[in-house]
Amino acid sequence: MTLLLIIFFLAAVLIINLPPKAFFKKIAFWLALFLLLLQLVFVFLPRSLWTGLNTLCSSNNFSMVQDSLSMVMLLSIAIVGLVALLVAKAHIKSENKLFNFVCLLLLCCIGMNGMVVVTDLFTLYLFLEIVAAAVYIMIVFEKNQNAYEGAFKYFILSAIATTLMLAGVGLTLSTVGALSFTALQIYFANTAQISAGATIGVLLFMAGLFIKSGLVPFHGWLPDAYQAAPNPVSILLAGIVTKSSGVYALVRLGMLGVLVPESLKTLLLAFGAATILIGALAALWQKDFKRMLAYSSISQVGYIVLSLGAGTLLGYAGAIFHMFNHAILKSLLFVNSAAVESRTGTRDMDAMGGFAAKMPWTGATSVIGALSISGIPPFSGFWSKLVIVIALWKAGLHYYAAFAILASLLTLSYMLYMQRKVFFGKLIEGYDDLREAGFLYILPSVILALITIGLGIGFPFIVGTMLMPVAIFNW
Amino acid sequence: MMEYLLILPIFIPLIAGLLAVVEINHKNYIREAISLLAVAANLIVTYALFDKKYAFSIPWAGFGMDISLRIYHFSAFILLASAAVAALIALYSIMFMNGREKNNYFYLYFMLTLSFTNGAVLAENLILMLFFWEGLLAVLLGFIAIGGKGSFKTALKAFVIIGVSDLCLMFGIALTYSLCGTLNMSEVTLPMTFMGGVAFISLMLGAISKAGSMPFHSWIPDAANDAPLPFMALIPAALEKFLGIYFLSRICLDMYKIEHGSPLSITVMTIGAITILAAVMMALIQKDYKKLLSYHAISQVGYMVLGIGTAVPVGIVGGIFHMLNHVLYKSCLFLTGGSVERQAGTTDLSKLGGLGKKMPVTFGCFLVAALSISGVPPFNGFFSKELVYDGALESGTVFYIAAVCGSFLTAASFLKLGHAAFLGKEQPVFSKLKEAPLLMLIPMLTLAGLCILFGVYNPLPLHTLIQPILGARLEGHDFAGLPTNLFLVIATVAVLALAVINHIWGYRRTGSAIKAVDHIHYAPLLHGLYDRAERKFFDPYDVGLKLVNILALSAWRIDRAIDYFYTKIVVGFTQAASGSIKACHTGSHATYIVWTVVGLSCMIYYVAFR
Amino acid sequence: MTFFVLILSALLLVALATALVADLLVAAIWLALLSVLTTIAMFYLNSPLAAVFELSICAGLITVIFISTISLTRLTSNQEKKTAARTRLKKYIWLPMVMLVIGIALYLTLDINLTLPLLTPETDVRKVIWNLRQFDLLGMLIILLVGVFGVVVLFKEKFNNER
Repeated sequence: MTLLLIIFFLAAVLIINLPPKAFFKKIAFWLALFLLLLQLVFVFLPRSLWTGLNTLCSSNNFSMVQDSLSMVMLLSIAIVGLVALLVAKAHIKSENKLFNFVCLLLLCCIGMNGMVVVTDLFTLYLFLEIVAAAVYIMIVFEKNQNAYEGAFKYFILSAIATTLMLAGVGLTLSTVGALSFTALQIYFANTAQISAGATIGVLLFMAGLFIKSGLVPFHGWLPDAYQAAPNPVSILLAGIVTKSSGVYALVRLGMLGVLVPESLKTLLLAFGAATILIGALAALWQKDFKRMLAYSSISQVGYIVLSLGAGTLLGYAGAIFHMFNHAILKSLLFVNSAAVESRTGTRDMDAMGGFAAKMPWTGATSVIGALSISGIPPFSGFWSKLVIVIALWKAGLHYYAAFAILASLLTLSYMLYMQRKVFFGKLIEGYDDLREAGFLYILPSVILALITIGLGIGFPFIVGTMLMPVAIFNW
Repeated sequence: MMEYLLILPIFIPLIAGLLAVVEINHKNYIREAISLLAVAANLIVTYALFDKKYAFSIPWAGFGMDISLRIYHFSAFILLASAAVAALIALYSIMFMNGREKNNYFYLYFMLTLSFTNGAVLAENLILMLFFWEGLLAVLLGFIAIGGKGSFKTALKAFVIIGVSDLCLMFGIALTYSLCGTLNMSEVTLPMTFMGGVAFISLMLGAISKAGSMPFHSWIPDAANDAPLPFMALIPAALEKFLGIYFLSRICLDMYKIEHGSPLSITVMTIGAITILAAVMMALIQKDYKKLLSYHAISQVGYMVLGIGTAVPVGIVGGIFHMLNHVLYKSCLFLTGGSVERQAGTTDLSKLGGLGKKMPVTFGCFLVAALSISGVPPFNGFFSKELVYDGALESGTVFYIAAVCGSFLTAASFLKLGHAAFLGKEQPVFSKLKEAPLLMLIPMLTLAGLCILFGVYNPLPLHTLIQPILGARLEGHDFAGLPTNLFLVIATVAVLALAVINHIWGYRRTGSAIKAVDHIHYAPLLHGLYDRAERKFFDPYDVGLKLVNILALSAWRIDRAIDYFYTKIVVGFTQAASGSIKACHTGSHATYIVWTVVGLSCMIYYVAFR
Repeated sequence: MTFFVLILSALLLVALATALVADLLVAAIWLALLSVLTTIAMFYLNSPLAAVFELSICAGLITVIFISTISLTRLTSNQEKKTAARTRLKKYIWLPMVMLVIGIALYLTLDINLTLPLLTPETDVRKVIWNLRQFDLLGMLIILLVGVFGVVVLFKEKFNNER
């Protein structure tokens, strides 16, 4: 059934490039909107509707995984894709360019959807390349010098990641014998017979994924790429591309039991903790709004990887929940920065001040996003951080748990700094005629804010349905 | 199933109060109608529940904290009595509060007070009762604060004083739990050890402070000036007495089983005796109608505490009967004060005079209540005071003498009050004065009537309401009817006559009713004491405030030091770290590739070679 | 086996040359040579179809694309060549040295068993791609589509302007 998500998107891309160009240029945006909404609905459909198509798919070797991790990822992809689409409509003025963006967005979504449903390591890598290729083009979409530089750095480091991943795939294939998830699971379930070659293979693959997800010290490309990309692309990048390409694969490997060797877990913990710290420290006192958000993204991915390093089911649940939350919240914050930029033309926080009076919706949703990402109850960010800390504590990693709690203080401080600089305080001169951002900026930010509030308040109710199938809690 | 009716007395006023505050645009007296309905419904329910014995208990949090309510003869009696008083005062407030601002909050606090009082009386679990007790404290703050300008300070003072005593209560409850292992009031039996005694003292302090005894009394006279008058009639005069003495009785009779002549009994009696004397001496010199009445409220608590502290049946019955009577006549007195305030516009005794002709009904009610409070036969005050004297005499002559002196001074001050306000020359500004409206007169008349009834026909309250409370401790006595000890009666009558003579002599000497007691005011030793008391030298609250100022200064200094650490040192360190990290991000992709290679080699080294 | 070691070392040297050469065009040609050597290695490892793919796509198609892209750039002037040559040795001298060091370290510490088992492919590669790896085929098609799109998006205006 999830194959349909790929086939529909592909068909859509092919169709809108057919001859009646003017007509298709007009409907491209709406078609993409419809498809992403369809994906959103797909996730919530009952499984019984899917069994027929499932048998069709698996008989033709299009085996797909459909557990709740994939569902959570599909949901995030749909939500962030919708948000990026809406912001693109507002940001991109020319119809031609919007058409191009929509095609690339659909292709990127094909890649991401494919990544989260395949059952084979090499296919995973392949779809990851689709995403990377689409994202390179999207970053340089508006053809300014900064974008070229950012995309170039992403490209070069991605090339290194590709090399590492292929090397890892090769080594794994030669030691394990097959690359499908089931084969890996069976091989790594028997801890006695894991050869050094297999561990090194998985390690190289992980290193490639680290580069893709932007862990320290492999994160060099991230701030420049996020900052220089056009606003809708930044939203896509921060919200979903890093998560689905880098972190999802790590979580999947973890849940397959591949990350069982202690050394791999220690690596995850160490790199995760370093990422949190360095990302947060670099985000403090940044002047550019988007760059600060980029470093913040790095820091939050560190939390996800730290939780993975705990190695318990609760750790995986925390990682997945935090992935979803971060997708929502980072998109929200990037939408706000795009809204501010659309009205003021600048991203320099030193030149901003007191905008909350003129832009109430943007200010309010920005406060919600900032508080949620810092882990303040009753928002959803609090719950995911809580699960992470408890998972670490229960796994016996007391120092890491304490570190995670302290690092939340750093998160809170740079978020508050941003809030204070941009939205609160006295209105800076020259901005008396500032208007609220357009409807297409407010709608996604309000929806995302509502999602975070709803998840936060309703968390005790959904813990059984959303997170339980992924991991079994026993408090 | 019928037990769940017990939550009605708590919820009916609560909902009515919330509805009353919501009605912001005061239309058509809906607010008053809601309040009247609520108090009427409360009265009906409490009357229906009067001789039932229900109890229910819902386990709630752990550690023995349950939601358990129980009604039996004592709590039924208190419930009915407070419902009746609240109904009368609600009726009174309609006319009194008409047109004053913050009307909606008045009714909210009124209803909330009634609701929480019902809850505290019905509660069987100490923690639940504490919850309602504290709720009353919060409502008290609001209730005083709506009185007008400057009333917030008094509200805060009341809050702090009762808050401190509530802390004693909490400490006592915690100690009780650790000594007895249960929080259920009917199951608690405190042992007769030192710690049991400490628990008893803490609980007792909490209970009597609610009733308004010394040393937790200094807020009541201030509230008399600042708070709205129906508040005075309702709370310090009536509901707080009910609650405080109810809890005190339960502590002394059920929980601790105080013994006659034991040190604890003597402590309680001493507090009672000191309260009687000190408060009434302050009352004597007041020049304001309401303040005078409020000091008397404090003083009368002393009688109740003394009575219960004697630990003999006659004293205990006397104390509880005195509580009931006090509520009746003190509320009536405050209501008359309110009617004077409303009609004449002032309660300053030097400005009043000769109101008796213009406000005959008010004067009549005042007369009945004043005679009751002074202990003149055959009104109710006389009978309850006789029982208390009897008990005090059995416990120690000094207590009896203190009580009798209190009576003397009480009578003297009421002679002064009545003469100055109602008799004497009429002031010209009051030429057009009319009697208070009917809705205000009805409650006064009802209360005065009850004073007479409970005096003349005292078997009614004693047999139905009070004596069943003691149960086995009564030891078969029956105190209804005329007092048996003739010596006490003669002594009382002699003291009253002495008071009348004292007042006439003082009036002849100075020519004005207010100065009739000046010879006591300016007596050699007492002059100095009175002076200091007027300057609030003995007020524990003010003394405490001065101490708090010093502590606050030193705390501020420490806070500045901690602040320096956080804002200079921690922030500077973070800035340095952040700056160095940012400097590393040069933007050169070659640098980033080098980082990647370094990271990769660390990873491989760690996994392959360890 | 020595033959194989020779091929692998030649591979490394050619790769080094590709990175160190100054002229882009020459580097592209070295890259093609690299692909040829890889093809020979694959033939040696008994995977003819992979070798053919490697030769045709990497040594053929990709070199063509590289050269056509290089044709879009302007030639480096002699001035730039001189300045680049001066700094070049300084920048990149460490690369072969690091490689040497790592190689010796690995050789000494790891137990490198260079006896390669001759892998016999189980089934025909064509069957492998179609039956076992359908999804990958779909993925590859999509990547081609993305590449085409990218070129169109990035260069369409330039072509239009130039025309």
